Amino acid sequence: MRHALDVGDRLLVVGFGPVAVRLVDELLPEVAAGRLRVTVVGAEARPGYNRVLVGEYAVGRTDHEALELVDEPAWRGAGVELILGAPVTWVDRSARVAHLAPGSPVEEVGYDALVLAVGARANVPVLRGINPDPAAVAHLPRGVTVLRTPADGDQLRAVVARRGRVVVLGGGVLGLELALAAHEQGCDVTVVHHRPWLLTRSADRAAGAMLEAVLARAGVHVVADAIAREVVLHEGGDFAGLRLADGQLLAGDLLILACGTTPRTGVAAGAGLRVDRGILVNHDLEADTEGRVFAIGDCAEVLCADPTCTVCPPRRGRGPAGLIGPGWQQAQWLAARIRRELDSDPEPMEPLPSIESDVIRLKAHSVEFAAAGEIDGEPWESPCGRSVALWADAAAGSLAKLVLRDDRLVGFIALGLPRTAAELGLRYGDGAEVPADLSVLLRLDGPDAVDPGSPSPTATLCRCAGVPAEDVTAAIEDGCRSVAEIGAATRAGTGCGGCRPVLQQLLDRDGAVAH
Amino acid sequence: MSETTAREATATHCPYCALQCAMTLTTTPDGVRVEGREFPTNRGGLCRKGWTAAELLDRPDRLGTPLLRTEDGTFEPVGWDVALTRWVRELRAARATHGADAVGVFGGASLTNEKAYALGKFVRLGLGSSRVDYNGRFCMSSAAAAGNRSFGVDRGLPFPVTDLDDAHTVLLLGSNVADTMPPFVQHLAEARAAGGLLVVDPRRSATADLTADGQGTHLQPLPGTDLALLQGLAHVVLAEGLADHEYLAARTTGLAQLRPALNQWWPERVEAVTGVPAHRIREVARRLASDPRGTYVLTGRGVEQHADGTDTATAAINLALLLGLPGGERSGYGTLTGQGNGQGAREHGLKADQLPGYRSISDPADRAAVAAVWGVAPETIPGPGLPAVELLASLGRPGGVRCLWVNGSNIVVSAPDVAAVAAGLERLDFLVVSDFFFSETAAHADLVLPVRQWAEEEGTMTNLEGRVLRRRRAVAPPPGLVGELEIIAELARRLGVEGFTDDPREVFVELAAASAGGRADYSAITWDRLDAGEALHWPCRPSAPEGSPRLFLERFAHPDGRARLVPVGGPTRRPAPGPGPAGGLVLTTGRWLEHYQSGTQTRRVGSLAAARPEARLQVHPATAAARSIADGDVVEVTSAVGSALVRAELSTAVRPDTVFLPMHFGGEATANLLVEARTDPVSGMPDFKATAVTLRRPVAGGSA
Repeated sequence: MRHALDVGDRLLVVGFGPVAVRLVDELLPEVAAGRLRVTVVGAEARPGYNRVLVGEYAVGRTDHEALELVDEPAWRGAGVELILGAPVTWVDRSARVAHLAPGSPVEEVGYDALVLAVGARANVPVLRGINPDPAAVAHLPRGVTVLRTPADGDQLRAVVARRGRVVVLGGGVLGLELALAAHEQGCDVTVVHHRPWLLTRSADRAAGAMLEAVLARAGVHVVADAIAREVVLHEGGDFAGLRLADGQLLAGDLLILACGTTPRTGVAAGAGLRVDRGILVNHDLEADTEGRVFAIGDCAEVLCADPTCTVCPPRRGRGPAGLIGPGWQQAQWLAARIRRELDSDPEPMEPLPSIESDVIRLKAHSVEFAAAGEIDGEPWESPCGRSVALWADAAAGSLAKLVLRDDRLVGFIALGLPRTAAELGLRYGDGAEVPADLSVLLRLDGPDAVDPGSPSPTATLCRCAGVPAEDVTAAIEDGCRSVAEIGAATRAGTGCGGCRPVLQQLLDRDGAVAH
Repeated sequence: MSETTAREATATHCPYCALQCAMTLTTTPDGVRVEGREFPTNRGGLCRKGWTAAELLDRPDRLGTPLLRTEDGTFEPVGWDVALTRWVRELRAARATHGADAVGVFGGASLTNEKAYALGKFVRLGLGSSRVDYNGRFCMSSAAAAGNRSFGVDRGLPFPVTDLDDAHTVLLLGSNVADTMPPFVQHLAEARAAGGLLVVDPRRSATADLTADGQGTHLQPLPGTDLALLQGLAHVVLAEGLADHEYLAARTTGLAQLRPALNQWWPERVEAVTGVPAHRIREVARRLASDPRGTYVLTGRGVEQHADGTDTATAAINLALLLGLPGGERSGYGTLTGQGNGQGAREHGLKADQLPGYRSISDPADRAAVAAVWGVAPETIPGPGLPAVELLASLGRPGGVRCLWVNGSNIVVSAPDVAAVAAGLERLDFLVVSDFFFSETAAHADLVLPVRQWAEEEGTMTNLEGRVLRRRRAVAPPPGLVGELEIIAELARRLGVEGFTDDPREVFVELAAASAGGRADYSAITWDRLDAGEALHWPCRPSAPEGSPRLFLERFAHPDGRARLVPVGGPTRRPAPGPGPAGGLVLTTGRWLEHYQSGTQTRRVGSLAAARPEARLQVHPATAAARSIADGDVVEVTSAVGSALVRAELSTAVRPDTVFLPMHFGGEATANLLVEARTDPVSGMPDFKATAVTLRRPVAGGSA
């Protein structure tokens, strides 16, 4: 028997990242109206914040306040219970109780329904000189850090402030964003990447190679296809440099470990829930069979137990996207479902559409890169219904690759073409049609894009008054000698005044001949 | 009132938009001559609509007598007495059978202050009905709601237009002034010279073209995503430390609540929603913050006519407040009012929820103040009625309006889902339409009443800057034509209700008295002062008779004097594209330079009709090519509520995923056949600017 929430039930949200914040924000009116009790348990001491902007914070471009997502007085005023600095250690599903770590404000919290929004943790690579246990990131040597929380960011912030040398291990999205931002802020930056080209999951070989060239031109040092072996420390235990397998030592003041993330599944696994790369949920975001436990955001992997389910995304062997957009969509959908249950609305929810907005957009000021979906294949290959279009200009550092299937954009890469990237992102996101002439989308960043055909007849000289050029010429021939006289005779130049310089030019040219 | 003699020059203002360009009318043997007149708003300039306005005075198809529908469905000319007798009988019958709210009025924002006031009063007292609203609901309601919420008052521009002359940076959101009020463009010259004209429009409009050659920046978001774009701009201002915190602390409340809402809208996320590249969002935000003195944020219908229009206007205000613009000596936020008296008509009681003086019909003190002027008990005044779209939806329905007077509006062209509106009009027991011409709406009427035109009447208008202007009579109306004030006074007399005069000057005196103490206080304004050339912006009270050209210099209109930062912007709504290879597009509607509103007037001006004789759907060539559509082909546009047939005009000025249709035309090309009657929950504004449509060549060969 599936559970449906009743008025007055308690919803426990475990985890306090941006996805949890969105869920509670959406439910705030229900909480304020006394229809739903909501408790949020967060492992960190501060309310949920915008993790997406931690990098911006870490390079000193913005401050703590820019990360805030919670209007705490409004939440508390509505009656939301916040328990902070309290990691959940295990969940007893039979008793419907979550147990919190020793030292938490309370030891246990009961629930009628549970939402796991515990997110993902940063990976720590196996390197000589550091402990690879991800649970011990707080105990990394000074000058070695992952970047997940503002506290992590404070280390980079200090190095950026003195324009120090930064080594970034990992040439994925986060690594490159941090590398570029730190470089843009004046740091000397080296990126070490273990695969042959950067952004291995989001770029093909050509795009990766061009991206590397663009970064090199910008002044970011890239070491690709390199194996890191050892974190070398100074006498006092501070980071000194990163030793590669070939013996090269990359010296620096700070090592950032940008080696990807792993969904946090421990509590779910302990509670007997299905877990793969993430906490497995069906397309209704249910992690159990009772409909009492849900998982959303970075910790959740949508994949029905039923392999024939047509709603769930194709089994691509991929876990959670690690992007905020899909997580927020899940939060909104789940909130809508909960509202509907509270209303005893028997109408079933439309299932959450399989999310295709997994657009990777490099947040950098000096390099424009975006990609999404299927990026493999070459223009000369065309398996059934699929086609690839490619444009590349190495000198300009621009590349666009479009992958289409049945005239829909199913993947793209855009480098150095910001408007093209934005438009492709829109079309990829909603499956809208793509122009038959794909070059339309490439020219958006060209100089001709700002000079489209004018809708009004070209012969019209003064749009406001609708005066054709020939009338003005005739007026000059008839003796008009000033812009004002032309205006009196033809009304040209009497509206916005924009054509008055043109009138003057005509006067200077034709008037001199006429008189 | 002085009778105008032949060849005498009369100083008045244009009949069309809210810029209310000053013009001089001179009667000549060939008719009335129009000349631009020196005035701060238009500097002597006029657009071709204004230049040709007088051609309508002696059009042969002008309505000359009342027309009453006969048994066989045709119209027959009747005298005024027959017309009014019948009308009063119908009014009484509807009231007796269905109650007072079964009679209603749909007004227009082209009416003078005096007519708007008298009409609002007549509905409440003469008819005892709450059912009055007007086409300004389709125009200014979102900006008005946002202004009231943030500033505590709603005046389109809280500063004179000429303040813009010194601006170096102007953010123009969803306003195509180069087409809709061309002389206004003169005030953008300095900003353009400084490279600071920042235009947000999904189309490369004539106004967007003004940014060319380094004169500014054009951002081209997907229609319906303006809110996200504004959130992104405000996000950058906050995140990059560009906000004016001294100002925020001294003059606003709500930053702590706004901040979490804005922190969710970083530029890359906004890019994914709007299609505007993140770096351009940052650049525009930085430009806005570079020097607040000399920076203005202006909104127009493009960002306001959405189902989230109030929130979008609020987001623009939030941005302006973060920058410290409103209430500065050389900075500010404003909304560019559209219709000629869009400002005044909403202040004097044509709005379902308001009483004269911009008073609330729900507030006991406001009701008492107006009741005292009207000489009635406060409880005599009905409560709030229905906003326009709901009012129109109620026509002929149980509990709805059965007997309607449409005055100065062409709703079967201008209202959303016009097919449903037309059906509603047909359900009515009795429809009265007053207009200069036999409009598309008049065709549904039971009684059509001819009325006077602008050059034939006296009155006042309130322009986009809250300045009250005199409209003056230049020519005598055609014989047998009366004005709305006369109609109202005579109806009231026949209904046995006192307190209605047909003298506009007397109405103004009463209006000014009724507004005393209200937010839009006119009580120190007189026709004599206006005729003496005084520039009077409301509020204009005896305690400050010089008026208020600049609001907010000292304080905002909330009781604590502070502006409110109001968090807005939940999930951004986007029309879902349809399935299949012929994918969905977004329809946005708007205006052309050559026409005004539903075109009842401008489509009858020879040179304007010649320049733009029929609607054209603006389509990107790539979008057209995918559907084998050539320039000039008739195409079928289909939305959830209807279809339109219109010729295509290929242009790269529109985004490939967007089509544009002007709203000036009726018949099969009526843009509002496609627009759904979905409205903003706060303002009641319809969603004119983003409708999901499909486009194709008509199956049957496509001849039209």
